[in-house]
Amino acid sequence: MEVQKEAQRIMTLSVWKMYHSRMQRGGLRLHRSLQLSLVMRSARELYLSAKVEALEPEVSLPPALPSDPRLHPPREAESTAETATPDGEHPSPEPMDTQEAPTAEETSACCAARPAKVSRKRRSSSLSDGGDAGLVPSKKARLEEKEEEEGASSEVADRLQPPPAQAEGAFPNLARVLQRRFSGLLNCSPAAPPTAPPACEAKPACRPADSMLNVLVRAVVAF
Amino acid sequence: GRVKEMNTYAWPTVFGGAGGESERTRADIISTVEFNYSGDLLATGDKGGRVVIFQREQENKSRPHSRGEYNVYSTFQSHEPEFDYLKSLEIEEKINKIRWLPQQNAAHFLLSTNDKTIKLWKISERDKRAEGYNLKDEDGRLRDPFRITALRVPILKPMDLMVEASPRRIFANAHTYHINSISVNSDHETYLSADDLRINLWHLEITDRSFNIVDIKPANMEELTEVITAAEFHPHQCNVFVYSSSKGTIRLCDMRSSALCDRHSKFFEEPEDPSSRSFFSEIISSISDVKFSHSGRYMMTRDYLSVKVWDLNMESRPVETHQVHEYLRSKLCSLYENDCIFDKFECCWNGSDSAIMTGSYNNFFRMFDRDTRRDVTLEASRESSKPRASLKPRKVCTGGKRKKDEISVDSLDFNKKILHTAWHPADNVIAVAATNNLYIFQDKIN
Repeated sequence: MEVQKEAQRIMTLSVWKMYHSRMQRGGLRLHRSLQLSLVMRSARELYLSAKVEALEPEVSLPPALPSDPRLHPPREAESTAETATPDGEHPSPEPMDTQEAPTAEETSACCAARPAKVSRKRRSSSLSDGGDAGLVPSKKARLEEKEEEEGASSEVADRLQPPPAQAEGAFPNLARVLQRRFSGLLNCSPAAPPTAPPACEAKPACRPADSMLNVLVRAVVAF
Repeated sequence: GRVKEMNTYAWPTVFGGAGGESERTRADIISTVEFNYSGDLLATGDKGGRVVIFQREQENKSRPHSRGEYNVYSTFQSHEPEFDYLKSLEIEEKINKIRWLPQQNAAHFLLSTNDKTIKLWKISERDKRAEGYNLKDEDGRLRDPFRITALRVPILKPMDLMVEASPRRIFANAHTYHINSISVNSDHETYLSADDLRINLWHLEITDRSFNIVDIKPANMEELTEVITAAEFHPHQCNVFVYSSSKGTIRLCDMRSSALCDRHSKFFEEPEDPSSRSFFSEIISSISDVKFSHSGRYMMTRDYLSVKVWDLNMESRPVETHQVHEYLRSKLCSLYENDCIFDKFECCWNGSDSAIMTGSYNNFFRMFDRDTRRDVTLEASRESSKPRASLKPRKVCTGGKRKKDEISVDSLDFNKKILHTAWHPADNVIAVAATNNLYIFQDKIN
């Protein structure tokens, strides 16, 4: 639970940094964008694997699901299963609820969680059967949903087309995606240096954020 | 250099920071520091595109105890902010790197680069001027030709020394991404420039053409996994250069083997220590600087927490690893939040390759003696830099009871970062850039 919240916080922070870096003089820096996306990806993997672990006692997954030794604790309090709202919920473009800025203890929780070796591999095949449809990006499903919602698929088109020659050519789409999705979130965040945006307590109602997650990561990869 | 010498740095000369260190004028922030081949000149570049060159005072017989102090020699605007209309992007004027050319005549030449354009500057002295022209007055006005009744030969008269800087070559439009390195070749005719994905080879005389020698751009940018972070020519072998990556690897390339050096001759990578693997370990392994030793036998790399020395003959692991500020490993989360984890520290060798130096936070910088395996932490600040006094070694308290004079990790000022340091090529003189202040320390023992 802690780990999930922390991972979510880092993902939000990373998106904020990516958006913010576009405003800087000299344009987007490729190295910085790459590093941010790496952290995003790690956070996502951590979030997903933490979620899988939390759900394991409740959802009967097929025995083929490999138990990943890398996910074994030192993470604490993984046994408490969260109550989860159904994943099939239709994603709505709400701002993601995030954790408050961490206190010293939370930061150490973040650090303590990290020794759990996060797998970089996508476990899409094993996870998609478990009814966790929203967890893992499913390309086709996402396409349809996005088109339903907005009628625009510029960021998807960006994925499919060969990227333009200039570095910055690919980024406008990312910024647009971020703007659309997070305008509420980002407008209320302070202009000051990157602190985590103000947030409320995480509740089970933040489950819709999962689909937000996938959009996030896809938008990042699109550059 | 011996251990004793490391501990007795003194005689600080401090330049910059008119308003004191608390006022940080952004344009003043020093972004690169470089001694020339003799060490008599020290160049600095700043965020505002300005280059300031310091010259060492010649020690003369009338002042035998003169310490060879550095004074401002020349100041000029190297780069201006530009606007790329095609991409609607501003191009920063910040000087990323300065590299001197070996001196061949009375004038000095250096290369300075921002994100997109490299310029070759000539710095020359003028200490005479001609007087007694026929066609113009002393104040430059043209004389009425009918008034000229006699011819005279202009004579040279001494004048106050004037140092002029003029741009001799402009190497532009060769980089799509941001330039991070330039390196002059030992042939003194060519140099390389590196951006995130490509390395180009230039001839110093030719500005309209450059050869691409490394290209790691994937066909599909979504498959991008690493970028080039630094590149340098070998100090003696003009066909060899290295480049480092954001994944913590170094590739050595031989230009004789093929025109496009996408395939490396040597690949240096240390296997990851699984016990130290963490959430941010991928990004802290990114190499921010690579420097060959003067001998050409070793190279040094700087990543976020350490400096490593590599033997060019051994690709499997470094021969030395020095921890710069290991106490930050447990703070990586906070350092990610305040962006400090992205700071790019440089590193440098001393003239004899027996010691290495790199910067840290709180205006601390670190020196490692390779022979004795001792290290020291020093501070560059006006308060701790009293003339004639030795620099006092500092210590960071990493846990437990804090001793007197120790500083706890939590009270380190992460806004005071030393990213750029330089070591005189022969003497024990060091230049340390602390935000917008330049500190020059000299060895007490002569």
